Amino acid sequence: MKTSGRLGPILAGLALAGVVAPLFAPHDPLTVDLLNRLQPASLTFPLGTDHMGRCVFSRLLHGLHITPLAALVAVALAASVGTTVGLVAGLMGGLLDRIAMRIVDGILIFPAFAVALAVSGILGIGLWSIVIALAAVHWADYARLSRNLAIVEREQPYVWAAEALGMGRSAIVTRRLLPSAAPHLAVLATYSLSWAILSFAGLSFLGLGAEPGTPEWGLMIAEARHHMRAHPLLIAAPGLAIVALVLGLNLLGDAFADPDVRRRGRRQSPSSRVAKLGDA
Amino acid sequence: MAEWPDRKAALDGWRQPAIAAGPPALIQAVGQRLLHSACLLVAVSLVAFMTLRALPGDFAEVLLTYQMDGEIPSAAALAEFRSENGFDAPILQQYLRWAAEAVTGNLGTSFRSGDPVAEELRFAATATLWLTGVAFALVLLAVPLGIVAALNAGGWIDRLVSGLAVLGMAVPNFWHALLFMLLFGLVLGWLPSSGYGTWSHVVLPALVIATSSLGVVARIVRSALIEQRRALYVRTARSKGAGSIRVLVDHCMVNTAAPVLTVLGLQAARIFDGAIVVETVFGWPGLGRTLAEAVLNRDFPMIQGAILLIGSAYVLINLLVDVAIALIDPRVRASV
Repeated sequence: MKTSGRLGPILAGLALAGVVAPLFAPHDPLTVDLLNRLQPASLTFPLGTDHMGRCVFSRLLHGLHITPLAALVAVALAASVGTTVGLVAGLMGGLLDRIAMRIVDGILIFPAFAVALAVSGILGIGLWSIVIALAAVHWADYARLSRNLAIVEREQPYVWAAEALGMGRSAIVTRRLLPSAAPHLAVLATYSLSWAILSFAGLSFLGLGAEPGTPEWGLMIAEARHHMRAHPLLIAAPGLAIVALVLGLNLLGDAFADPDVRRRGRRQSPSSRVAKLGDA
Repeated sequence: MAEWPDRKAALDGWRQPAIAAGPPALIQAVGQRLLHSACLLVAVSLVAFMTLRALPGDFAEVLLTYQMDGEIPSAAALAEFRSENGFDAPILQQYLRWAAEAVTGNLGTSFRSGDPVAEELRFAATATLWLTGVAFALVLLAVPLGIVAALNAGGWIDRLVSGLAVLGMAVPNFWHALLFMLLFGLVLGWLPSSGYGTWSHVVLPALVIATSSLGVVARIVRSALIEQRRALYVRTARSKGAGSIRVLVDHCMVNTAAPVLTVLGLQAARIFDGAIVVETVFGWPGLGRTLAEAVLNRDFPMIQGAILLIGSAYVLINLLVDVAIALIDPRVRASV
């Protein structure tokens, strides 16, 4: 893939654009203006207004700081918990490993969205309970992957060398194993980020997350569904925003999963031997 | 010409599994899966049991307040209610008592409707089985689609499958449901846009659930089959004189069965995930919508019952898939 060298700057640029985007919103996303409700797209309102007269374009831009950010927090939580459990289980082995992996196997057989729904139901309605629910479902994937990586890597000569040089256990984990596992975890992270965005928007759509009126994309679609016959743009715009974001993340994951791209990014890492393991 | 017995045995050698796995290995494998499933069932029931106990505040008080239509119960009434229902017993005893009740089909009454939870869940489960059954049958179309895509890699069906897979992973299912409802229900008017009861009501929601899984499954069937067709045993079989159809059916497809079954088992979970949102959008009175509404209304007995029912169903599905794979693939049996 020839574009891989430019991947970094492009990503940084996109992320920066996402961070500053709300500054360019032409209107306040929360201001209700009942005289201007359900306006078609115009120069003042680039994507029209919703049933409360709020500017859809501004709400879309402000939504960039809700769904993707919440999904990012959920994935970060899941990744840190799951990777810790997985590395410890893989390195310790024995009974601990077996028990941890039984629990992980157990979680993975259940429908993830249903489990997240039930967990957020127990925690109560709100943005944070969704974030925690998504992390509670998703850590198992990280635990499984990092455990398998740890089992392969701990028998590699470079780990023995570190041990022979007197490196402590925690240093071996953080300075040797984690860097070599990072590319595989990055692949999983991009895919799980897109899953988290879809699930977060889905739970919001069901009414479990943000307060009514919040410019969250899933909620915007839920609130606009009664007007979709006459004003299809109201559900088309936030839906396309989600699709574009998730599609981009999935393509990014495909690029990360491609060993050629990884090799160009860094010198050949010991972990390329387990490339197949990570892709599985 | 008389058949040379040794040569025939050597040529038929591919039919024998690498490791002789007789019935004892199969029984052992199935037994282990059964044990694992039993542990999972206990775990599911513990989670369901704790749902109600983990409520903020005293859950006996919450229950009694609900039963008295929101009136705050007196301390004496509360104590009587506790001892009557055994809520003052040790937690393990409470769990066993609750589990015994649950096994006989008593899951308490819904906070919202006041009806027995088990009755409502039974009705919802029937509706969901209908919807997800149709959706799953549609997803099975992915198998022939994947085979055709693998045989004509790069052809238009292959590209269609890839496109469907990419979209299936990127399009939010609630949006997908709304778009189908808008197009086929409201604009074209071909099918009812919501409701329950007739086959015409099933088509649209089942189609939404199925199309989001179809491409992903077909692509996995495709890549599994392509991988098998490159295997060396295919060349051996061809050099023995097996025709291309025989190689495909007798050799390649048998070897792709296990990964494809695994994926189909995982899709059973994905289909239910889809059903939660799709049932809500199309007003289908199934389990998914029941769970979502119970969560929204903080109807804890209903959440508890739904967790127990859905959890047990997936333990069972997982067990069936594992046993089917062990039956098909001798390597899985041998690896126990």
